[in-house]
This record gives sequence, structure tokens and C-alpha cells, in this order.
Amino acid sequence: MSLFIEFRRDLLIALVGLVVLIAIGLGIDHAWPRDFLTSIFAAALLAMSLNMLIGYTGLVSFGHAAFFALGGYIFGLLLQSPAFTGALGAGSVPVALVAAVIGTGVYSVVIGAICVRLTEIYFAFLTLAFQMFLYSVILSWVDLTGGDQGLMGGIPRPVFLGIDLADQYHRYVFCAVLFVACVMIMRIMTESPFGYTLRMIRDNATRAAFLGVNVTRVKLICFVVSSSIASVGGVILTLFTSGAYPEWAFWAQSGEAIFMIMLGGLNVFLGPVLGAVVLRILNDVVQMYTSHTEIVIGVVIMFVVLGLRRGILDFVKDWWVEKQQARLAAENRNGQE
Amino acid sequence: MKKTSPRSRPGMDRRTVLKGAAAVAAVGTAVTGFPAYLKAAGKPIKIGMPTILSGRVAILGESSVASAKNEIRKINEAGGIEGRMLELVTRDSRAKPDEAARMTRDLVNNEGCDIIIDAEASGASFAVNEVVRDMKQFCIHTNSETSSLTADPKNQVEWVFRSCRQGIHDAVGGGLVAAKVAKAKGLKRWATVSPDYAYGRANTAEFMEYVKLFAPETEVITETWPKLFQPDYTENVTALLNAQPDAVYSCLWGGDLVAFFDQASLYGLFDQFTAFAVNLGDYPVLTAIKSRPAGVYSGSRYHKDVPNTPENEAWYDNFMANSNVLPTNWAWQNAAAINFVAEALKKTGGDTDTMKMAEATSGLTINSPFGVDGTLTIREEDHTLVNYMVGYSKTIVDEPYVVDFDRTAWSEIYTHEAEWKKRNGYM
Repeated sequence: MSLFIEFRRDLLIALVGLVVLIAIGLGIDHAWPRDFLTSIFAAALLAMSLNMLIGYTGLVSFGHAAFFALGGYIFGLLLQSPAFTGALGAGSVPVALVAAVIGTGVYSVVIGAICVRLTEIYFAFLTLAFQMFLYSVILSWVDLTGGDQGLMGGIPRPVFLGIDLADQYHRYVFCAVLFVACVMIMRIMTESPFGYTLRMIRDNATRAAFLGVNVTRVKLICFVVSSSIASVGGVILTLFTSGAYPEWAFWAQSGEAIFMIMLGGLNVFLGPVLGAVVLRILNDVVQMYTSHTEIVIGVVIMFVVLGLRRGILDFVKDWWVEKQQARLAAENRNGQE
Repeated sequence: MKKTSPRSRPGMDRRTVLKGAAAVAAVGTAVTGFPAYLKAAGKPIKIGMPTILSGRVAILGESSVASAKNEIRKINEAGGIEGRMLELVTRDSRAKPDEAARMTRDLVNNEGCDIIIDAEASGASFAVNEVVRDMKQFCIHTNSETSSLTADPKNQVEWVFRSCRQGIHDAVGGGLVAAKVAKAKGLKRWATVSPDYAYGRANTAEFMEYVKLFAPETEVITETWPKLFQPDYTENVTALLNAQPDAVYSCLWGGDLVAFFDQASLYGLFDQFTAFAVNLGDYPVLTAIKSRPAGVYSGSRYHKDVPNTPENEAWYDNFMANSNVLPTNWAWQNAAAINFVAEALKKTGGDTDTMKMAEATSGLTINSPFGVDGTLTIREEDHTLVNYMVGYSKTIVDEPYVVDFDRTAWSEIYTHEAEWKKRNGYM
């Protein structure tokens, strides 16, 4: 209960955000905003959950997309199994969703237990190695995963509680609710004492350990939670594309998530969301005029990295803080006079 | 990175404004950032084409676009369909399935495309298949040769068709020719060198299965699997030289095939063994190989002499005059798809309604320079293309690069295809 009181403002904002998202999706009589936002939900959950590791804990993971893909595959494979949908009927989708999150969580406990003991480049490369391991398993286990052709034949979505995920409106609202719920979980985590412990570990792990923090355990919890949230992103993309594909587990997918964080901002909670939106819009708009998307996106990233020297929201935040400080200083000066 | 962001000032204003700014930016761009969204409704019949326009496969994607554009130009110059012009809108998926899925949705929702020509390869075509199933959008696949795309009932969709080669058809054709050659030349010991992914493994298995069926005395003594886009093939060439087979089969394609041929020629591989390469017969591949070996058996792709008819020659000349790329297997397949779309549209009176188009396309036969007897058919039972040119030619060093086309009769293909479908539980 105290959690609700403590985070009532954030909860209210989340609720308003959800209402706005639903209003956009249902209010505009066109499929484009729904499609655009659904793909953003998936990408943003991947980027935001990765930022819990990078921005808040200082763990640069190059293998985060593995959990995103695993979530999508577990969800898709369960629903494609006639035995599963036959046994659970209307409960198939919620159970598959929970199984995808828990399954990914369990997998990430194993991977995390090995990786979080390392730092910096060693951590990055080990996560990359585990991601490529999963990628290879998906590619070679053709009977189960369909190999490089992904999950074929569509994903059955039995109706539950009156929600029909084959209907684009229902699907959109379902994905929006999932997205906002996950964002809220991340918000609570990062703004709670646990979140400040993460920042402490990022800034000085040794000092944190001396203060009695079990650094490995805290890192592991963060790793597992962020992996589980990434898996929800995978579930959303699976629903959106009616399939799951090995490319989601390829290192380039993790690289794209890092781009989103760099572009949007590392130190602002919603930075990665902005990064996802900007990258997607850039991609789509450039696509309309030329197929040389990567050159244009590369130039934009170069501009952000070299020009702003930080993410867009980081830049805005710093500018805002400087402006406030200048105003305060001016007020102080005036007061002294 | 090491910069702290302590909650020193729990300033409600600042955070609220930041969130507000992000939300306004997102909604603002959503509403104003896409001019195409506003211009979606248009008079011409829009055909959306997700394909691959970057990377090592771009050459095939570009020939797909060039070919579709050329056919559309011809149709429009002849007055269009019921007075309406056809218009092609392309998107580059970079061969990524989720990107292809998104681009397909974008083509329909944002660009207002009435018809989807899915010019993707393999994996991405399965993604497009699910999107058009989901969106109930009429679609023709034009490049994916994976047999299960239309053969497997779970992938079949009432309003989705395929206008391109199918692996199993080429496997039967290749198996028959290879068995004939194997018997004549006494080629018993076979080796394979194919790309290490689903298409490479499935295609090679199907080809060798039919070689063994038609020439039971043959055996595969070694298999070597280079990675996709592998730069150096020394280990694979060495493996083949060590095994000393009588014949070699490869389904390497595009730039990989060119690289392999150039490197293998240095070792004199093609002087020692009889070689079969299903994807060799495309103009960009044949012209890119520096030391073109003679006497290699090449699968039918696109060639101006296959079939050797004035109509095909005329199509080739017209394509060359109106495009700056060479025609490929993907080029004729996309040309055929546009012709099927035009013919179906004529039958529906220009109505692009999904079910009406599906009804018009199912079992449709059109006159085409690429057909065996001047016609191509989209078979009613599994919505796939039949009656195109299947068989093998032999390479020569100079133009026309391939000669002596040995065509496989469709009656033979039908018989073996039906057995294959039964074996795989598809019927």
C-alpha cells in the first residue's frame, strides 16, 4: 500500500499515459498509429530494460536481445503447440505470457549468475557470447524453432476474458497495457532504494560493498528483472509480426537497443523511449525516399555523439538544469544586492 | 557514463516537463512526421513491394524492382487497368523478417497499397506471409523458393499466392539431369558444397535425394558447408580436393557463388570434377565470375534463350533497354507476378478487394514469355506457380554463357512432387 502512496504521482502519470496511448490508438481511424506505437512498445521495452543495466547499474550488456528473442520464442512456441492451447483453452495467452517471462527469468538467472561477477569489457563479451549461443541454438534446432525461417504458420491466439488478440484494436490495447505496466515496474525499481543501490554500484561498487551491499546479488536481481522485461518486448513483437525470428537474437538487435539508449539519453528514465521513437521515425522516413537508411542513421548518430556528446534527453536535462542554476544564481545575486 | 543522477531536487516540475516534452514530441511526430500518411488515398492502384535493396543480395532485389517497374510501365502505356494506372512503392527490409513485416504493414496502412508483391527471400517471406494473413491482404510471393511456403498447409492462406520457382521442382529437374549425366559418365562418388543455413541444407538434401532415386548407384562421400557470405573458401575447396569425388553439387548463390568459383578455379577444381550448380545460370553471376569454367551444369534461372522463343528474346531486349541492371531469376518472377496481378485486375474490373482478387488469381493461366508453352499457371490447389522452365544447361566461356538446355517435363515433376508431398504429410 505504501508503494502506491509513495509512487502515486508516477502511477497517475502512467495512468494518464496509458489513457493517451489508448486514445491515440482507438481515436485515430487509421492503422498506422497503432502499428507504429506497437513496434515502439516492443523496441522501447528492450531499450529501457537494457538501460537499467547500462544507465543505472553501469553494466554494458551486448547480449540483451537474447532475452527479448527468448520471450518471443517461448510465447510463440507454446501457443503454436496444439497440446498447450488444447489443455488451457482460453487461458493459453495469459499462461504463455507468464511462462515467457518466468522462462526468460530462469534462463537469465543462470546466465546472470555467471556474467554479473565480471565487469566492463568482460561482462559485455560474456553476455555477447551467451547471446550468440542462443542464436546458434535457434538456428540449428530447426525442428523446434524453424531455424533461420523462424516460427512459421502464425501464432494462434485463443480469446480470453473477451480479449481477441487477432483483432488489431484489442491487440493494441493489450500491448499498451503491457508496456505501461512494465515501464511502471522499472520506474518503481529505479526510484526505490534498490534503484539508488544500483546507482551506487555503478558509481563505486567497492564502496557499496563496504557499506554492506551484496553487490553480486543486487546486480543479479537487476539482470533478471531487466531480462524478464525484455522478454515482454519480445512477446509484443511476436504478437505484432505473428512469428518469431532468429534475427531478434542476433547481436545487431542488441546493438540497435544500445543505439536507442545513446540517441535518447542514458540518464533520463524515458530517454531510451525517445531513442526508439527517433530511430524508428528516422528509419521509416528515410525509407520513403532512399534505401540508404544506414548512412543517414549513421550520420544522425554521429551528430548526436559528436555534437551533443550525450543523448537527446540528457542534453535537454543538462540544459534545463544549467538554466535553473543560472536563474538561481541570478536571484541570489539580486538578493545580495 | 559515471555521471550520477541523484534525486537531489525532487523537482516535480522538471520531471513533469521532461515527460510532457517527450510525450508531445512523440505525439507530434506521430501526427505530423509522415506526409505519406496524409497522402495515403490515391487514385492509382498501388502495389507495395518489400524487398532487399541493401547488402550482398541487393543485386537481386534491384532486378526485382526494375523488372516490376518495367512491366508496370508497359501496362500503364497501354492504358492501365480500367483507366487506372498501376504504381509501385518499394521498401528495403534489409532481409530482416521483422523489418519486412513492419514494412508490409507500412505499405498497406501508410502508403495505402492495395496489393502486396512480396519480393523477399526465405525467412522474411514467411514473416510477410503471416502479416498478409493477419491483415487479410492480397499478396503474391515472388522470390522465396522454399517449398514449404506454399506446400505446407499450415502456411497456406486463401488470398496468398506464389509466382516463382519452388525448391522441390528444381530438385526433381536437377536430379533427373544429374542422374542421366551420372549414368553416362559413371559419376558415383558425389560431394556437396552448399551454404550452411536452412535453404542450403534443405535444397542439397532434396537434390541428392533425387539423384540417388534416379541413379541408385551414387553415394555422397563428403559434404562441406561454408557459412553464408564467407569470404574465403580454401577449407571447402581443400575438403573437396582431398575427397576426390567424381561430381560436386552446390546451391551457393549470388556473390558467394562468384567468390567460390573464382577461388575454386585457382585450384583447377572444375578440371577435375563434374560440377552442378543450381544457381549459376543468372546473368550477374555468370558475368561476375572472372575465370568462367566451361562444362559446368547450371540450373535454369533466367536466360534469354530459355525458352528459345521470340517472345522471351523480345522481353530480354525490352528489359535491357529500360533498365540499368541485368535480368535475373528474381526479375522474371516479379515480371510474371505483375502480369498475374494485371490479369486478375482485368477479371475483377479493377476491383482490388482481397477475396475478389484471390478468386480471380486462383488457377489463373496467363500468356508469358517464361512459360513452357508460352503460358504460366498459378495452380489452384496450392496457389503456386507451375509450367515455368525447369532444367539444366551447360556453361561455356563466352556469350551466351550457357547452352544445351535440358528441360524437365512437368509431367515428371508433378508425379514426384505429389510423392514428396505425401512423404512430408502435406497431402
